Amino acid sequence: MAEPIVAGVAESDLGETPDRNWLDNAGIATVRALEDADLTLEDVDGVAVGGGDDYMPALVLAEYLDLEEPSLLEGTEIGGSSFENFCGHVGDAMARGRADVVVIAYGSTSKTGPGRDRSLEVTHPVDGFVRPTGLFRPPGAYAMAARRHMHEYGTTEEQLAEIAVATREWASMNPKAAQREPITVEDVLESRQIAEPFNLLDCCLVSDGGGAVVLVSEEKARELGVPEIAVAGVASTSTHRQDISEMPDMTTTGAAVTGPKAFDEAGISPDDVDVAQLYDSFSYTALVTLEDLGFCEKGEGGEFVEGGTTAPGGELPMNTQGGGLSYCHPGHFGVFVLIEAARQLRGDYTGDRQVDGAEVAVAHGTGGVLSSSSTVVLRREDA
Amino acid sequence: MTGDADESASSATVEDRREEWKGPVPVPSGANTEFWAATLEGELLYQHCEECGTAQLYPRAVCTGCGAVDPPFERSEGVGSVYTYTVCHVPGEPGFGDRTPYVVAAVDLAEGPRLLALVDCAPDAIEVGDSLEVRFWQVSDEAAVPVFVPA
Ligand SMILES: [Zn+2]
Repeated sequence: MAEPIVAGVAESDLGETPDRNWLDNAGIATVRALEDADLTLEDVDGVAVGGGDDYMPALVLAEYLDLEEPSLLEGTEIGGSSFENFCGHVGDAMARGRADVVVIAYGSTSKTGPGRDRSLEVTHPVDGFVRPTGLFRPPGAYAMAARRHMHEYGTTEEQLAEIAVATREWASMNPKAAQREPITVEDVLESRQIAEPFNLLDCCLVSDGGGAVVLVSEEKARELGVPEIAVAGVASTSTHRQDISEMPDMTTTGAAVTGPKAFDEAGISPDDVDVAQLYDSFSYTALVTLEDLGFCEKGEGGEFVEGGTTAPGGELPMNTQGGGLSYCHPGHFGVFVLIEAARQLRGDYTGDRQVDGAEVAVAHGTGGVLSSSSTVVLRREDA
Repeated sequence: MTGDADESASSATVEDRREEWKGPVPVPSGANTEFWAATLEGELLYQHCEECGTAQLYPRAVCTGCGAVDPPFERSEGVGSVYTYTVCHVPGEPGFGDRTPYVVAAVDLAEGPRLLALVDCAPDAIEVGDSLEVRFWQVSDEAAVPVFVPA
């Protein structure tokens, strides 16, 4: 089966982009990713757009970029995992010969842009059961799941903090990361309380920014002569939407379903993974995803991350750009885990920042309030 | 309206907070209309399918167990236990600023369904597994939100 190849990746400017709107950031990321692939807008057959806080985002971006007769228009919105989900749909379209070059794009101004509409009349039939509780979402929802995990498995706040510490260590080597000062477990525990058991440093930062990934067919990849970073496995699912109380078991996410499927499709096991880019909207998100993808047993995530397992030099390098916790988080982080996975497999970095001889990467997206999960296995084919 | 409800169950208190409530207000529609109407009477309803026995909340026009349309409502005893909770130190909605820190829990009702709810108690007075019982705060002419207190 033909596998899409990641031919180019890029971010827009990150952090604060007060002179940009979401479309500007998505558009800039797109042209930069195309340039990275040695392609131009003229080559683009389609766009897959997530987030964007807009109606019909794929049409909006296709028009903004003035694409000519795009054959693939994808806007399936499943939150932060949308981009991993797109990889499957784009692969299907390419297998049917419907497209050769597709851009997966995201842009946001979460930090400096206009805030969300907070009308007090909740006409949504489900949100009427959620918003009047006052739950601070998403942090409070993830915090409730983390609390349950602590209750069932004895996971500690110190173990959750280990994730933030290791991630910051990676961020310290990334000039694009918003937070680069090393931190300790103490720092995390002493930071401002947000939604117990989460403190500020358990939570992703909020930033502006965009990202894009160019997927091309195998044929196009050979034409371009790019390193063959193949989408070897993809799977997506959901457990609920915005009401965390609808999540059947808050200690097990959809990753327990998508991980095995994606690994199976790629013909690998968790042991084969050289580098993991796992959505870390909160420390707990990464911890539970490690368990659900099978990097350790259920309930043992806390123990697994102790002692820098996911830090530079650790057994499982994770979130090597600094993650949503320290690098950037414009709302839908899923596009950035794909970007970093591809860069590690291409060997773009030097020194400790580069995971030596990385051939297999997993990029995992999480959306909503632990609601959707999507796993992508990327593999360097010329390795 | 609640033909199958246990008529011997007493209603929970309904406190009129329409004046002071500055937060989100649910607007009843479709399958949840009956649920919200009952809250004004201090009754916590859930759906209990006659075909397959599934108990569910929030209210839906279909049974998630078997697909039966309009599974009937029954009255919950209004007691449950804390599946999990958080203490919000940052207000998550307009009107909650003066309340911080406050507790929000996922409450497993004795009848089965799980409900997200504000818990009216001190932040250090709650643990997973604690028993809670329902109260209602009327926040509009159409709805009273279920709020739980330690049982
Ligand atoms: Zn049924």
